[in-house]
Amino acid sequence: MTLPADYPYFIAAWILLCGLYGIVRSRHLVHMVISLTVVQSSTYVLLLAIGFRQGGYAPVFAGLHTGVKVVDPIVQALMLTDVVVETTVVALLLAMVVKAHEKSGTTSPDDLRFLRG
Amino acid sequence: MPSPALLVAVPLIVAALLGALRKLIPRWVADLAAVLTAAGNLAIACWWMAHALHRTQVYWFGGWFPRGRMALGIGFTMDGYGCGLAALAALLTTLALIFSWKHFESAGGHFHPLMLVFLAAMSGFAVSGDIFNLFVFFELMSTAAFALCGLKTQEPAPLAGAFNFAVTNSVAAFLMLTGIALLYSATGALNLAQIGLALEGRHDRLVIAAFAFLTTGFLVKAAEFPFHFWLPDAHSVSPTPVCVLFSGIMVQLGLFGAMRVYATVFQGCFAGTGVPWLFVAIGAVTALWGGMMCFAEHHLKRLLAFSTISHTGLMTLAFGVWTKAALAGLFVYLVAHGLVKAGLFFCAGILLHRFETMSEPALFGKGRSLRWTAPLWFLGGLGLAAAPGFALWAGETHVTDGAPWAEAIFFIAGAMTGAAVLRVGLRVFAGLGDAGPVDRSAKVDEKPETTDAGRRLSPVLYAPAVVCVGGCMALAFWKGTMRVAEAAAASFMDFRGYAHMVYAGAIVVQQPVAPHDLLTRGIISAVLRALAAVAVALWAVLHLRVPRELRWPSHLEGPMRPVRELQSGHPGDYVAWLTLGCAVVGVAALWLGL
Repeated sequence: MTLPADYPYFIAAWILLCGLYGIVRSRHLVHMVISLTVVQSSTYVLLLAIGFRQGGYAPVFAGLHTGVKVVDPIVQALMLTDVVVETTVVALLLAMVVKAHEKSGTTSPDDLRFLRG
Repeated sequence: MPSPALLVAVPLIVAALLGALRKLIPRWVADLAAVLTAAGNLAIACWWMAHALHRTQVYWFGGWFPRGRMALGIGFTMDGYGCGLAALAALLTTLALIFSWKHFESAGGHFHPLMLVFLAAMSGFAVSGDIFNLFVFFELMSTAAFALCGLKTQEPAPLAGAFNFAVTNSVAAFLMLTGIALLYSATGALNLAQIGLALEGRHDRLVIAAFAFLTTGFLVKAAEFPFHFWLPDAHSVSPTPVCVLFSGIMVQLGLFGAMRVYATVFQGCFAGTGVPWLFVAIGAVTALWGGMMCFAEHHLKRLLAFSTISHTGLMTLAFGVWTKAALAGLFVYLVAHGLVKAGLFFCAGILLHRFETMSEPALFGKGRSLRWTAPLWFLGGLGLAAAPGFALWAGETHVTDGAPWAEAIFFIAGAMTGAAVLRVGLRVFAGLGDAGPVDRSAKVDEKPETTDAGRRLSPVLYAPAVVCVGGCMALAFWKGTMRVAEAAAASFMDFRGYAHMVYAGAIVVQQPVAPHDLLTRGIISAVLRALAAVAVALWAVLHLRVPRELRWPSHLEGPMRPVRELQSGHPGDYVAWLTLGCAVVGVAALWLGL
């Protein structure tokens, strides 16, 4: 059985929806942060799928002559930037979770609803 | 000629130094360095604003000029609109740093570096000509904002507010990145002009999906309905100087991102379709929703946050009208609103410094002794109602020219938000009527954010508010305001000129359009709107003295309760709304754009 050529895009959409569902239904702040990283993973899959070339080499030209087919290095650079940026955000969010647990003794988003109405 | 790169580089370098040395240097050095850096940014942005207004220029980092039709390097586009917003960001940051001089709690020295990183990101976002750099600056801006929002980590409420803010805005950033990836897959380009030229005339499902993802991402930052839920939570817990930047410029930069991408990338795709009406509809709903929520609110910062939502909705509506006059009006409205809202937040900060609370009932009658804050607050309220004499009025007149339905929405939203602010003023500064109802949000208590034990009021607290409110009035009376805005709007809309200039480096000289005199025509509705705001405020304050049959909705208590319950404080709910909104935007764009 062969998979259709665009199946990575469906996987990216599926991961995106899983992550969003995880955030919406979350009952634990750490779980919510991890769901956020799941949403982020969908962008990795999408970016890599866009840059993929069937039979392409890794875009490192040491030892390759320039006519060789390689995968697109730009999306890989975008993905790396994305990883760096999001690591910062996740670290910040987890630090907030730790602080929230210290101050109010809870890690459930339902018990942290001080701001309503 | 100051290099545009300085707008980003200098604040980042100073931030790094202040962050590294924060335990060694005295407070006044940090204050002075931060204020000087922000003022330097203001000078550079103003210089570029003056020089790039009629001829947009592109700065290529490292001299990587385009080869043929391929943009190799990363460019900053210095045009009137972008430089104007960078200047506003720098001005508000300078004032916010002056406001926090000496007495403001600096959270172990982290406050100044974070503010400067925030400024660098906002400046870069305003002038970036590359879509991936827009994303990077968007994320940098968000990350600095999350940290600034949760600065008061001793209390749980700021942590909850910052957490909601961070989760919703991070999801927005990923949607945006998905949109960027789709555009890259369709065009193989990241430069805005190159994408726009490659896509021109194409409006298939892929382009529409990219449009929906990107627009949703930006509109979350712009706090448009139904993506706005994070904003009141973030505002009600943020320190005052941070609120000034959030409400005055950050939210509007989200809208500006959507505008920039529409102008350069999607304008050619959706020319002649009904897609701009999508922005009109979103803006109109947001303006009315925010206006009602603002009037029903009793926590001062939260009330001002809802008024920001309402006014940004009005700006989105102006964006959807997409004529030169409307975009010029939008530019003036954006700057004027930023100034007025900053002035009001500074006044709220003075009240918080003096009385250590932000709740309207708790502040009842306490402000009688504050002779200087009261007039500033009332002027700010009239300014929000776009009364004559404030630049919001000039902007509004240009947007609603020839569109009575738009005028009606501006009238209602302006009168509601103005009335809410005036009502608070009458209660707090005049002690009129009764203290008003106590609701859940008014009970969110705030620890003082300043360290001055005497609660004295020094001039550095007043000066920023005076500059803001005075500046907004000066803009209304300065003859050049509309001329500058029309020139900025003309080059902003001109997609062909933009692309030409990116590739050829050619100078596209915009002939300045003579601004038509609309002010005399708009003055009647402006006076009526201001009077309506005053009347509604008086009615709300004196509601026990009006006849019984007129009394019930005076604070919209009953009718607004189910609506206010939607503001649940749970980040999961907000993300559910966000997902739904993204789907609606996508379906509507398919319907309007195919």
